[in-house]
Amino acid sequence: MKTFLRLILVLAVIGVVALIAFIFIPVQRTPAQTALAADYTVPEGQGEYTMRLADCAACHTADDGVPFAGGRPIESPLGTIYSSNITPDPETGIGNYTLADFRAALVDGLRRDGTHLYPAMPYENYRMLSEEDIRALYAYFHDQLEPVSNPTPETELSFPFNQRWALRGWNWLALGDPGFTSTLSDAELARGEYLVTGPGHCGACHTPRSPIMTQAALTGADDAFLSGGEIAGWTAPALRGANSAIRGWSAADIRLIFATGRNAHSAVNGEMQLVIRDSTQFFSDEDLDAIAGYLVHLNSGEQAPAEPTETATEQLLASADPSMDLGPRLYLDNCGACHFVNGRGADEVFPELDGSSLVTANSPTGLISMILHGGELPSTAERPERLRMPGFAHRLSDDEVATLASFLRQGWTNDAGPVSAADVSALRDEPATN
Amino acid sequence: MHARAQAAREVPLDQYQPEYLTAAEYAFIMAATDRIIPEDGEGPGALETRVPVFIDRQLAGDFGTAADLYMEGPFTPTADPFLGTQTPLTPAEIYRGGIAAFDAWCAQTHNASFADLDAETQDAAITALSEGDVPLGPELREFWSLLLQNTREGYFSDPQYGGNAGMASWVYIGFPGARGSFFEWVGRPEAYPLGPVNIAGERA
Repeated sequence: MKTFLRLILVLAVIGVVALIAFIFIPVQRTPAQTALAADYTVPEGQGEYTMRLADCAACHTADDGVPFAGGRPIESPLGTIYSSNITPDPETGIGNYTLADFRAALVDGLRRDGTHLYPAMPYENYRMLSEEDIRALYAYFHDQLEPVSNPTPETELSFPFNQRWALRGWNWLALGDPGFTSTLSDAELARGEYLVTGPGHCGACHTPRSPIMTQAALTGADDAFLSGGEIAGWTAPALRGANSAIRGWSAADIRLIFATGRNAHSAVNGEMQLVIRDSTQFFSDEDLDAIAGYLVHLNSGEQAPAEPTETATEQLLASADPSMDLGPRLYLDNCGACHFVNGRGADEVFPELDGSSLVTANSPTGLISMILHGGELPSTAERPERLRMPGFAHRLSDDEVATLASFLRQGWTNDAGPVSAADVSALRDEPATN
Repeated sequence: MHARAQAAREVPLDQYQPEYLTAAEYAFIMAATDRIIPEDGEGPGALETRVPVFIDRQLAGDFGTAADLYMEGPFTPTADPFLGTQTPLTPAEIYRGGIAAFDAWCAQTHNASFADLDAETQDAAITALSEGDVPLGPELREFWSLLLQNTREGYFSDPQYGGNAGMASWVYIGFPGARGSFFEWVGRPEAYPLGPVNIAGERA
C-alpha cells in the first residue's frame, strides 16, 4: 500500500512538472527552411504582391479601418477574435518584430513574446510559405508600410479557450512540416499547388475541420483537402470530388472567377467576394493560370456535369400555368427575369442556379441570406461593374422565402433538402455580409 | 411607406382622410376622376382603383411641392405654351387654385359646385375645361392637363402609390406588372396566362 501511494505521488509530481514545463518552457521556433544569400534583397514590388497572395487584408483591415491596422472582429465558434495591428508601429503593431519574430508568427503561430496566436491566423497554411515570400512580407509590413498607432481590442474568449498555452498541444496535432515540397513534377502545377496550399490559404475555409478544429488536411495529396468547409455559417464549397462546385470548369472559367468574381457559371458570394476584391484580382496572369491549372488538375478524375437538357422545372416555369405551386410562382414573380426559366442565368452577369453550390449547400444559410439581403460583386480592374442582386426581404415573408428556397433546392437538376420558415426567420434581421 | 399604403388601401374611399386636399377639394377630385374614367366603362373606374388617394398623396409629397422642378424663375405664365410650364405655382397650388376657379365657374354657369352637378352636366363642364373654355388665368392653365395626366398615372401606376388598387387596371389590360419574366412568351400567339405582380410582390 505504501509503495502504491509513493508511486501515485511520483506520478503526480512528474505530471505537475510536465504541465509546468508544457506551460512555461518556451516553444522552439521553426528556423528558415532556405538559407538565402547574405546579400539577398526582396525584389521591387514583391512585398506588396506577396501581401496580395496571402490576403493579409482579409483579416488585418477592419471595415472602414486603416489598412492592416487590425481590430477586425473575426467570429469563430469559440468567440470573437480581434485581428492584430500589423503595421510597423512599435507600440501597437509589429515595429519591434525582427525577421525571426515575424517568421515565428507566420509559421509557428507565435507572438514576439512567445505566447500563442489563435489559429484564426492561418499559420497551418502559412507554415508552407517559402523563405522568399516570408522575407517579402517582412519587407512590406516592417519596412515599407507606414506605422499606424492603433491599439486593437484584446481578444477575450471564455475559459478554457482563453488559455493560450494549451495551443501548444493543439499545434502538435494541427501542424504539418514547415516549408513546401510539391508532389507534382510539372512546374506550373507545382506553383499552383504552392499558391493554393500556402499563401492563398484556401484550405482555411474550403477544407473541413476536424472535431478539434484543425484543418482535416493540409496538402493536395489528401482527398480531404479542399473537400468543402464552412465560414460564418456559409458553405465554402468543395473544390474537388463528386460534389465539387467547379467540376467541369475549364482553366479559363477558373481564371475568370479569380480575376473578376464572375464567369459563365457562377458569381462569388459571401466572404469570397472579399477574397476577389482584396487578393486574387491582383495576381499575375502566370499565377492565375497556375492556380487554375492546379484546380483543374484536382478535378481531373471527376466527370463533368451532363450537358443541360430541358427539365420538368423549366417546362413548368415556361408554361406560366396559373395553377402552379407557390414555389415556382414565386420564382417567376421574383427571380425569373434574371435567372431565366432554365435556371442558367447569363454568362458573367447572372449566375446559374441549376447546379449552384450556394443553392444546394447542405446548410441553406448562404442561399437564404442571398434571397433576403442580396449580394454584390467586387469591382475588379478587368470587370469594374459592381453587379448587385437586390435583397427581397421587403417583398417576401419568411414562409415565402422558405418555399422559394425549397423550390430552388429541388428545381432543375438540384437535389437538396427543404428550408423551413424558422431557418429564414433566424436570418431576416442579420445584416448583409457584403 | 408600405405599411401606410396598406392602411390607405383598407379605408373606404369616402372615409379616406386626405393628406393635402381639403374636404371640398377631395369631393371635386372624387367627382372629376369618376367622370374621366367612369365605372360603367369596359374596365374598372377611377374610384374602384382609388385614383383620388393617389392624387392626394402625390400632391402631399415631392410632386405636389415641386421638389424636382426648377422653381427659381423668372416666371412668364403668359408665354407660349410651346415653351413649357411657366407658372410660379407648384402642382399642389395649381390644384388648389384650379379647383377653386373651376368650382366658381361651375357655380356661376350651372348654379352648383362641380361635385354636386349631375353626370351629364359634369361632362359638359369638364369638356369646357378641357377645351380651354373655362377662364382660369395663365398661372393655372396646366390644371386640366395635370388632372388628366395624374388620373391616368393613378390608374396605371404601382399600387404602392395608393392608386391601381388590386392591380385592377393591369388585370384589365393584361399587363403582367413587375414580373419582367416572360422572355419565352415573346412571339407566341396565345395570351400570357399569369395575372400581374406588383413591386411589393403581391399577386392579382
